[in-house]
Amino acid sequence: MSTTEGAAAPATLAAWLRTRTDEQLGTLLALRPDVARPAPSDVVGLATRLAVPVSVDRALDELDAGTLQVLDVVLLAPGDGLTRGELTAALPGAPVDEAVTLLTDRALLWGDDVLHAPEPVRRAVRYPAGLGRPRTPPPSDVEGDLAEVDDDERAVLEALAGENPLGRLPVDNAGSAPDSPARRLLRRGLLTRVDAANVELPRQYGLALRGDQPYGPVRRRPEPPTEHRDPAVVDRRAAGAALETVGRVGELLAALEEDPAGLLRSGGMAIRDQKRLARTLGVDEGAAGFFVEVAHAAGLLDLGGPHRDEWLPSRESDAWREQPLPERWAVLAAGWLDSMRVISLVGQRDLAGKAVNVLSPDVVRHTVPAVRRTLLATLGDLGPGLGLATDDLLALLRWQSPRRADRFVLVPALVGEAEQLGVVVGGRLSAGGRGLLTGGEEGAATGMRGLLPDPVDHVLAQPDLSLVAPGPLVAELARTLAVVADVESSGGATVFRVTDGSVRRALDSGWSAAELHDFFARASRTPVPQALDYLVDDVARQHGRLRVGAIEAYVRSDDHGLLSQVLSDRRTAGAELRRLAPGVLVSGLPADEVLEVLRAAGYAPAGESAGGAVLTRPAGRPRATARPGSRPPAGPRPLGPDEVEATVREIRAGDAALAARRTDPARQVPGVTTASTLELLSRAVREQLPVWLGYVDAQGSGSRRTVQPMTLGGGFLSGFDEGKGEQRTFAVHRITSVDLVDEA
Amino acid sequence: MSDGPLIVQSDKTLLLEVDHPQSKECRAAIAPFAELERSPEHVHTYRVTPLALWNARAAGHDAEQVVDALVRYSRYPVPHALLVDVADTMDRFGRLTLSNNPVHGLVLTTTDRAVLTEVSRSKKVAPMLGARIDDDTIAVHPSERGRLKQALLKVGWPAEDLAGYVDGQAHPIALDQADWHLRDYQQAAVDGFWAGGSGVVVLPCGAGKTLVGAAAMAEAKATTLILVTNTVAGRQWKRELIARTTLTEDEIGEYSGERKEIRPVTIATYQVITTRRKGEYRHLDLFDAQDWGLIVYDEVHLLPAPIFRLTADLQSRRRLGLTATLVREDGREDDVFSLIGPKRYDAPWRDIEAQGYIAPAECIEVRVSLDDEERMTYAVAEPEERYRIAATAHSKLPVIRRVLDRHPDEQKLVIGAYLDQLEELGAALDAPVIQGSTTNREREKLFDAFRSGEIRTLVVSKVANFSIDLPEAAVAVQVSGTFGSRQEEAQRLGRVLRPKADGRQAHFYTVVSRDTLDSEYAAHRQRFLAEQGYAYTIVDAADLAGRGEVNGPDWVDDATD
Repeated sequence: MSTTEGAAAPATLAAWLRTRTDEQLGTLLALRPDVARPAPSDVVGLATRLAVPVSVDRALDELDAGTLQVLDVVLLAPGDGLTRGELTAALPGAPVDEAVTLLTDRALLWGDDVLHAPEPVRRAVRYPAGLGRPRTPPPSDVEGDLAEVDDDERAVLEALAGENPLGRLPVDNAGSAPDSPARRLLRRGLLTRVDAANVELPRQYGLALRGDQPYGPVRRRPEPPTEHRDPAVVDRRAAGAALETVGRVGELLAALEEDPAGLLRSGGMAIRDQKRLARTLGVDEGAAGFFVEVAHAAGLLDLGGPHRDEWLPSRESDAWREQPLPERWAVLAAGWLDSMRVISLVGQRDLAGKAVNVLSPDVVRHTVPAVRRTLLATLGDLGPGLGLATDDLLALLRWQSPRRADRFVLVPALVGEAEQLGVVVGGRLSAGGRGLLTGGEEGAATGMRGLLPDPVDHVLAQPDLSLVAPGPLVAELARTLAVVADVESSGGATVFRVTDGSVRRALDSGWSAAELHDFFARASRTPVPQALDYLVDDVARQHGRLRVGAIEAYVRSDDHGLLSQVLSDRRTAGAELRRLAPGVLVSGLPADEVLEVLRAAGYAPAGESAGGAVLTRPAGRPRATARPGSRPPAGPRPLGPDEVEATVREIRAGDAALAARRTDPARQVPGVTTASTLELLSRAVREQLPVWLGYVDAQGSGSRRTVQPMTLGGGFLSGFDEGKGEQRTFAVHRITSVDLVDEA
Repeated sequence: MSDGPLIVQSDKTLLLEVDHPQSKECRAAIAPFAELERSPEHVHTYRVTPLALWNARAAGHDAEQVVDALVRYSRYPVPHALLVDVADTMDRFGRLTLSNNPVHGLVLTTTDRAVLTEVSRSKKVAPMLGARIDDDTIAVHPSERGRLKQALLKVGWPAEDLAGYVDGQAHPIALDQADWHLRDYQQAAVDGFWAGGSGVVVLPCGAGKTLVGAAAMAEAKATTLILVTNTVAGRQWKRELIARTTLTEDEIGEYSGERKEIRPVTIATYQVITTRRKGEYRHLDLFDAQDWGLIVYDEVHLLPAPIFRLTADLQSRRRLGLTATLVREDGREDDVFSLIGPKRYDAPWRDIEAQGYIAPAECIEVRVSLDDEERMTYAVAEPEERYRIAATAHSKLPVIRRVLDRHPDEQKLVIGAYLDQLEELGAALDAPVIQGSTTNREREKLFDAFRSGEIRTLVVSKVANFSIDLPEAAVAVQVSGTFGSRQEEAQRLGRVLRPKADGRQAHFYTVVSRDTLDSEYAAHRQRFLAEQGYAYTIVDAADLAGRGEVNGPDWVDDATD
């Protein structure tokens, strides 16, 4: 019996696990933390957890191509298991031992001398080494069949003998061209049908076609060329990109504050708004979309307004604007790194041919943050000043985790975004990027500090009415200048122009001409040109002419006599009233003071729209609240060493308790489908061995029968019931015991 | 962080801090590929345009030099996208080449077949291309050379023109520098032009553009056609050439409304060339009358459209454009560049003033308040009448008189646009008026009298905007203008910028009516001068101090004491 224990090698995964040291079990739990929560009660429980398909997939996903190739060799071995010697022979020159350690540490292979692959792993790898499943019944004369094919057919076969054994049949439109090479091959059995449209090259033919390299060439880690560049130059260029991004996002927020963008019914921002922002920022629409997405990812921009249907700067953006440049950049970079949105999909057409809008909810992919981190980490593994071309990076990533290769289609776009932000420069991680990767937002700011210019607190006023801020401005000055002047050119410096429009705007928002003169004199390091002073005065004079509403308070009545009485009343002198027109008295005092004086004098005035201050804007600016929870869900939390130790201890204890009452774990736990049961069944299917099956049917009556198993999958075993003489399907969870017939 | 003088903006403008110790060096480094856009007092603005980058390529600069100059002088990190864009743009130049093929004549060849295919499919370019000779070569008719270059520029694949120039009929011309010398910047301008083959030289009025033309002729040593704005300007050219070169009176012909002489050096007016009779240009054969080796376009910013079209046919001849400002109110600067040639030389006005080659000028805007009646008239006027009413207001007259009284011993020009107003001013100020209908002889006589000091004050219409050499004019008062025309402002200022014998200051007054369209237009025009580095002082008419008063001009003629 294969499941009995003895001095011989352990026969099942569970038995093998029992032979592992505490330390090795600890390693296993640390590498596959998902099986450790909640802690399995004993080794059998652990083996069961290890067989969970999701867990197996996750473990396999983390392996590189070289390691997976070693696994493939074991999976393709004709018998059950392969020695290390055989493995090394099969992949000459490959680092087999390291790969075996990686695999056994994760219990994706087990056994000490002879290596076995657990059944769930077999199932998870559908096409080991890119070979199709074996044909049943096996072809009798593989070489002979292959000798008969013509050139067209051979081309089809060779293609399918490569990486992927699956092929799609040419479309057969009502009998036209039914005689394609693939169809001929299908008729002769050199291809097997997977479904109506797809065919597969059976393993026997695939191996024959591959000749002396049945597993394909040895998959070594690619060693792409990398050229050293001075990290200082890299960082300087990163700073250029950073400065640009921070500046643009700042302008973007200012533009949205002035004129918020509307929310589309389908979510996202309208193309019209995107175009407008692009015009305002002086960039193309794609770049405008990128800045919007980055601002949103960093929580600086979100839905707000009375009906939550406007894209507005968030409350956080106010704090952001006050921060020093490196911190501002770090917020953007960290937001981008963790964003689950695939920015590069914006503007692409979806299946219905409709372009995806900026901030559209359709571009959320939960895997993106992981891909971003992976690519940055891969670049970070190279030394400072070293980098990779995007194609080389892609090749390396594909080698590192081939099972996730489909995610990496995003990599070129993500590298482009990283370059735009200054996280990556020319395929090299910048100091800020390195900081971001290791130290998050804080690290990013630290990495960028010293590279970005210090803010300046002055401008240079010129006779052509332009104000040049020769660097990023301190926040307060930037805010003021945004009111009193128009931005003409931005970048490292900002060129403002004072126009009659901008002066009027300043006057509208409550500045007086004197304050403006004073402000320009204070802010400008150069003498204020006379033309600027005249412009302010000219506009202020015009402004004043129309300042009907600037009068602080008025007293109005249809009763002219009453007004005359008020005017001549000595007690109301404190209200400083004068007659503006028949029926209207005005005062330079605020309305509440006038009201007070009039009330004190015994009149009964009523306040009428108390604001002589209609000209000033409300102090508060509308703000959206950024929603938390835009961060991605953390993957399985890594186990701490204490936790690992405790879990191993628990398993050992459970195991000892189980051993006291165990004879055969596969038989002793009715109603529980253990990994051992499944493993035994799988082996029986693979090796076409009849089994004794203890089975409880739907009515609850138990039986014991001899079954020739055929397939196992989806929770059902199908096979030929020899006692009843018919094909039957058995629900795996009703199987109470399994035993191989010939060994019983 | 370096501390360079240059700030590179994302919109491809470059800000150069003038007071920085490295600013001169930096200006020299960026001048080949960036257009000087504004040069006010403290920070000059340059712009990197595709055209400028391609010109730099044509002059032998490569992208690496450009990027290096930007990075070296930049105070802050340069946006990477901008550098990439610079390299990409420059890379587009030279994929297409116009050259002379010994067998097929003028051909367009390429090093990048896809580009040739792209342009030959373009609707704008295709009609100018001839037969395809092979995959990389297409024949071009010589007469299409200019138009083809223009069209290729518009589709973004500028052609490198290696077809060269015809030498024209040789004619000995040399500068006669016995009692004067070509100034450094003039020499630099000529060198720049000659190295580039064709192009435009931008120098402020009074900086000696005629001499640049003369020096170019001395380089070419060939028959030359000079195109000028009017007859008086043409005669000035003639006088200058006779005085400064070995050319004699007999070698220089005048081709104008009055005379039709064709000589080795012929000076023609724009007007006569564009005169049509029965719908046909009558004088176009002038261009073929001689095998010209050089064509000089004076005041190229005024070049009329028909001459543009002609110029397209003259691409095999060297062309020199001269101007004080390339601002064209019709926005056709690009056509000037592609047909005459790129800008070969440009210098901030204030630099030349600092070298003492043009007179320092004080610009003053005098604001006049309209009286009540005028304000009423202005308020109720039709919009299209408003500017005229404001500009020609009678309230200006006493102010103009006061301004002139401040400078009793200077040669003064009163410049306006409205003939009624000029006539009135002439009568009131007892000064002769020169306007469009004044005959050339009369004009010459008055100008001579003005130069000799017989007449102190001249009232001129816009005929005097250009190319009138009145070296002693030291005060100009403009009373009305052509709306907000910036180049008119520059030209008028140019009238008083000729260096004065005793180095004294020039004065440029603009009298405007307060709070009207007049002052709005004035602001627009003045912005151009401010961008050239001339700051305006604004004075209320009531505060206009007289001579010798506080804030008034100094007494200059104490010699009589």
